[in-house]
Amino acid sequence: MKRGKIDKTDLRKLLAAASEKARCAGPVADRVGVKLEELTADSVLALDYDNFRLSPKLWFFPRSEVIASGSNGTLEATPLPEEATVLFGLRPCDAASLELLDKIFLDEAYLDPYYKARRENTTIITLACNDPDPACFCTSVGGGPGASSGADVVAFDLGSELLFEAVTEKGEAFLAEHDGLLTAPSNADDTAKEKLIADAEAKLQPVTIDGVADKLAGLFDAPVWETIGERCVGCGTCTYLCPTCHCFGLYDEEADGNVKRIRAQDACMFPLFTLEASGHNPRSTQGARARQRVMHKFSYTVSNVGETFCVGCGRCVSHCPVNIDIREILEEVGA
Amino acid sequence: MTNPYLPLPVTIDKITIENDAKDLKTFRLRFEREEDAAAFQYECGQFAMLSVAGAGESPIGIASSPLDEGYIEFTVKRYPTGVVTTVLHNLVEGATMGVRGPYGNAYPLAEMEGKNIVIVSGGFAFTTLRSTIRYLLHESQRSRFNNITAIYGARSPGELLYKDELAAWEAQDGIEMVITVDKGDEGWSGREGFVPTVLQEVAPSAEDAYVLVCGPPIMLKFTMPPLIELGFPPERIITSLERKMTCGIGKCGRCNVGSYYVCKDGPVFTYAQLQEIPEAVL
Repeated sequence: MKRGKIDKTDLRKLLAAASEKARCAGPVADRVGVKLEELTADSVLALDYDNFRLSPKLWFFPRSEVIASGSNGTLEATPLPEEATVLFGLRPCDAASLELLDKIFLDEAYLDPYYKARRENTTIITLACNDPDPACFCTSVGGGPGASSGADVVAFDLGSELLFEAVTEKGEAFLAEHDGLLTAPSNADDTAKEKLIADAEAKLQPVTIDGVADKLAGLFDAPVWETIGERCVGCGTCTYLCPTCHCFGLYDEEADGNVKRIRAQDACMFPLFTLEASGHNPRSTQGARARQRVMHKFSYTVSNVGETFCVGCGRCVSHCPVNIDIREILEEVGA
Repeated sequence: MTNPYLPLPVTIDKITIENDAKDLKTFRLRFEREEDAAAFQYECGQFAMLSVAGAGESPIGIASSPLDEGYIEFTVKRYPTGVVTTVLHNLVEGATMGVRGPYGNAYPLAEMEGKNIVIVSGGFAFTTLRSTIRYLLHESQRSRFNNITAIYGARSPGELLYKDELAAWEAQDGIEMVITVDKGDEGWSGREGFVPTVLQEVAPSAEDAYVLVCGPPIMLKFTMPPLIELGFPPERIITSLERKMTCGIGKCGRCNVGSYYVCKDGPVFTYAQLQEIPEAVL
């Protein structure tokens, strides 16, 4: 596969060239961190960040989107998004999460046409992690700071330069298109890259999750869930920030006879998520809801699609308002 | 590419008020486009999402038989807190609404061929079993199956669904109907008693038989022990689960129980399966 180096000062030039054919998004600082934002001529790239506060799943599975609209009782489907998109700077964990979401939304029995269109229209350039956050644990769930799963191109930050490596045909085409801005990498660059990844891996604290799926199957009625439930405030932050959480609802909004059917992200942390019109709620305690999230990610999806639905990005660990740490839960149930 | 979230337009041809409380109505729907009618091929036990633009969607079991031509029927309970069912109940004949589906698995009727069939139901969960009885009694199907016994209970005589059909089924030889109410009224000369109790009284033979059970959670809970006592193996006790649903296609996560999605892997499960799913234990 094609490889090439670029001086960081030329990165903006490369993305500007890419912007002529596609909307481009990259890391941009805001008041509280760095977010993945559509780039304009004035955007200033911020390359020194742990990860985006919000998961890039939003680019494929938005917080909310109108999927149909109409009036007089009939609904027409929203046309599929056609816009070509380049996302630069996803961390490898987040890119890997897209391959997991594919298992849900690209399931052949029922394809999600909106997700599929966005996946097909998007080129993903990841930026390998040199300095993972203390909450990160990607290597414990099959990933790594330089992993390529879900990426079309992986970029490695060598200091003053970025080293690009194509992973897919789409990535190959992207690098070929911008070949004029790239130079050939040397053996020293490869050595530097290997060392950066090895150093990053060494900074990660491993979590033992081997055998967790099997153990969880026997822990449905364990007291640990109600203990967690007593702490959990049910805010849903973990699910909204999680790159692999994909639950949603469909809601109608009507104004002046015009109806919008909206698909919006939803969360298994909320009691209303499962409350039936009869008043019956099969998940009536916060402990049962906390259990559902862990079971779904580390047991049910393993049975259903052979994958653990966690990429170790650490967002739920960093942002939980009551310091519930999924790593501690996994170690407790795995013990 | 087909859009799995888009309801197909249907016209309400007929609305039947089923009960004294007037909170159960049967909607007879006709697809507005012939190609949609041809594509909507369903089996007994499946459900569909009923859509009222501006209110939303609700998952409802299909009450008509796959052999009913030209229409599909749904019996819908209106709950005071049910946004969609309340609006749906206010629609009139001739109105346009939407349907998408059919979704879920079905009762394993092919597996039940040549067997005795016992049907046990309580309340308005009877709808998909009404679909099944209509199908089983159809002249093209009846000879495929052996004896058919149906036990159906409601709170009161006025709460019994499909009253004309019940009378017709009681009068015919193809099925043994046992109808019970929790409490009768002045005009009621039939049986009184809860479904699990009546089941024990009727004591249908489990020999070479399958039982289809559908009802509220509390009825299911108290119906399983007598069925086991009568000798029905858990693999031949077929029931149907209900959960809140949004997508109907196994993505939105709402109806997840264990590694199953009730909308896609169910709603029909054997009692043997349910015993293996902690969150679905009856």
